[in-house]
Amino acid sequence: MNNKIPNFVKTNQFGLLILVIVFICIFSFSTDGFTSRFNIYALSRVVALDIMIGLAMMVVILTGGLNLSLGALGVSAAMFGGWCMETMGIPISITIILVLAFGSFLGWINGFVTVRTGVHSFIVTLATMSIYFGFMTLLTEAEAFRKLPEAFTDFGSLKLFNKYVSPLLIISVLTCFVLYYIFKYTDIGRKLIAAGANPDAAELSGISVDRMFIYCHMLSGFLAALAGIMLTARIGAAIPSMAGHLGFDWLLPAFLAPVLGGTLLSGGKVTVFGTMLGAILVTLINNGLYLIDVGEFWVRFFLGIILLGAVLLDRAREYFTVKNSIVS
Amino acid sequence: MSDYILELNNITKNFPGVKALDNANFRLKKKSIHALLGENGAGKSTLIKIITGVYNQNEGKLFLNNQEKSFSSPNEAMNAGISVVHQERNLIRRFSVGENLMLTNLPKNNIGLIDYNTVAKESKKWLDIMELDIDPNTIVSDLTVAKMQLCEIAKALSLESKILLLDEPTSSLSPQDTKNLFVLLKRLVAEQDVSIVFVSHKLEEVFEICDEVTVLRDGKNACESEQITNLNRQKLVKLMIGRDEQIIKSKKNIDFTDESLLDLQSINTDLGHKNINLNLKKGEILGLYGLVGAGRTELIKCVLGLDKINSGQILLNNKEIKIKSPKDALEKYKIGYISEDRKKEGLILMHDVLSNAGITVWSNLKKILSFLNDSIVYNKVDPYVKQLEVKTPSYQQIVSNLSGGNQQKISVAKWLASGTDILFIDEPTVGIDIKTKSYLHELIIELSLKGTSIILITSDMPEMISLADRIITMKDFKVVGETINNHNYEEMSSSIMGNIHE
Repeated sequence: MNNKIPNFVKTNQFGLLILVIVFICIFSFSTDGFTSRFNIYALSRVVALDIMIGLAMMVVILTGGLNLSLGALGVSAAMFGGWCMETMGIPISITIILVLAFGSFLGWINGFVTVRTGVHSFIVTLATMSIYFGFMTLLTEAEAFRKLPEAFTDFGSLKLFNKYVSPLLIISVLTCFVLYYIFKYTDIGRKLIAAGANPDAAELSGISVDRMFIYCHMLSGFLAALAGIMLTARIGAAIPSMAGHLGFDWLLPAFLAPVLGGTLLSGGKVTVFGTMLGAILVTLINNGLYLIDVGEFWVRFFLGIILLGAVLLDRAREYFTVKNSIVS
Repeated sequence: MSDYILELNNITKNFPGVKALDNANFRLKKKSIHALLGENGAGKSTLIKIITGVYNQNEGKLFLNNQEKSFSSPNEAMNAGISVVHQERNLIRRFSVGENLMLTNLPKNNIGLIDYNTVAKESKKWLDIMELDIDPNTIVSDLTVAKMQLCEIAKALSLESKILLLDEPTSSLSPQDTKNLFVLLKRLVAEQDVSIVFVSHKLEEVFEICDEVTVLRDGKNACESEQITNLNRQKLVKLMIGRDEQIIKSKKNIDFTDESLLDLQSINTDLGHKNINLNLKKGEILGLYGLVGAGRTELIKCVLGLDKINSGQILLNNKEIKIKSPKDALEKYKIGYISEDRKKEGLILMHDVLSNAGITVWSNLKKILSFLNDSIVYNKVDPYVKQLEVKTPSYQQIVSNLSGGNQQKISVAKWLASGTDILFIDEPTVGIDIKTKSYLHELIIELSLKGTSIILITSDMPEMISLADRIITMKDFKVVGETINNHNYEEMSSSIMGNIHE
């Protein structure tokens, strides 16, 4: 029936893109500072992080699970990085590799416990959230690492493209492309999606589902650690409370981006660029509402409403998912 | 006055791009059992959905007791005395039988709480009518599949239904349970003034129980209210598929004294299999027959490493092997398993045709750095999807949108593509139309002639006898008999049933 409308128009991402444009228009006209160079640069720094934590959550939602420990894990990894650089004097590049490995390891713990016990990852990561954060606070004595190498903190405040864009955003966008490539063009990516969509059928088709689920959690840990490094570079220090108590500040954007983006909560479908657009939308609304000066609590109120709306959208999507492709 | 309780005249139903029903007629006589037959996609389900108020017809009229009716919801149809018993169970498993039966009209006591005594008493009444010996307080999940089926019928009766539509009621029943069900249905018709529409793929059952037959083909009547006594199996099949049925028989010369390809020796498992010995020759189709619950599928799953084998050994080409997982079976030993439950275990319904057909070959096809794109997978699986004549608009079609027969073909295609030496095929034709069924039969025989060794699990006796070279009978997780198949239906079936009932 709708043969004349190109398929792209019917996708969730197209709807998101329209929303993003609509909000940009609204905020450009209704606020003063929205299109200023300063604000756009600030936006690019924030959105970079929101994209990364959205992706970190997305790869676990793919399995039909959740990663509540995301924030705690990211901050723990960042603190580990601060310790490496400040206390141990390890070079930046090696530190980054160590931090990413550490994040993957914490993710592996999440995945291993989930797979071995058969308990839902909601419970497992609720526990590890507390464990990681508690352990980190204990070891660091809640002290921040503020004397990081200048080369590292300078990178966080670097301004590119006529001083409009933070390099952090480029890292996030590149990560999106890499993840898209993995899910679309590799054997392992296909297996991750198949295992998430129907574990029983995937297992009987010769896929080691447990291993795939563990990979997803490791990837989530890796991305959360990367987000931790990026946040450290952005604020120029590794601070235990930089993602709020127990890392809670990350949870809302982490859910919002993939769910708005079209990732099914029941698993088996990823939308890398949808997640990116979802993160952009969340950051925009956040930023715009601050500029309109509605107050901190109203911003939270609106984000909560949006999450609820997005979840309803997710329910609706399960009925209308038919035409959409598995990876987008 | 006609003696029809239900009449549908010249029904046409259009869906976007398809005419599902085209001037179809259906007339149900009072107190009769009427078979509604047709291949998948012939329009049976659409007709049933019109009768039960799920759809409205575009053209044509529906008469109930000679009065024109049009139902705008299933509830209206139910209130008018029309009930459907679906293939899928419609009972709430954690509720008691009584609660399920009385669900829409739970009796209350003075202070508005549920009056469980009345629930038990009322539901007992309906269970008694059916001569069912079930305590109304039993939790549904504790019942056998057969009893659940009967409870559903009791539930329909409790709604004072005068027309019962039974959709494949015997698909999960053992032969004995099926017999009991038929006795009951006949009694309901005789004593309770009930008329029954019977939908089934099993033609033997139609001849056993039905009075009249209506066949649909491509949305039109291939025959209308024909007396069953005027028909035989060949005629009926011809009406359904529009051509004569091909009888397929596997004829091979297998020397059963040859060395075995796969050999299970005194296998005991966690699930309760006791001392299982069986061997599979190269190119053989080895049938595993047994009633539901005999432990056949479970045995295969243990062999695949999904459940634990406690003792005994598995030999492949006389070498002992340990299979840890289906992945191991596929990649190390070239053994595959086509599941009986294609929706839950065979396919990823929300994914497209290409990824379902290719899932078993991704590992083999991947290039450097695990690179794999759609065209590599397409080139590999396309010949098999074509060979199986899968009808799909494109490889990007989501599998849940395809018909049952096409879905089954895809779950077979992925194993053909994987090129396994040994295939375990579990109930390959459940709920599948005759055309696809005989197609799959030919394919299984062809595969074995080309050297694939097959263990075939089926509860369909004619299927077993036409395909298998040798038949192993299982009962209560033990092997109770082994027979070389001579393809003579009477001899073989009595010998197998003899093994089971000894």
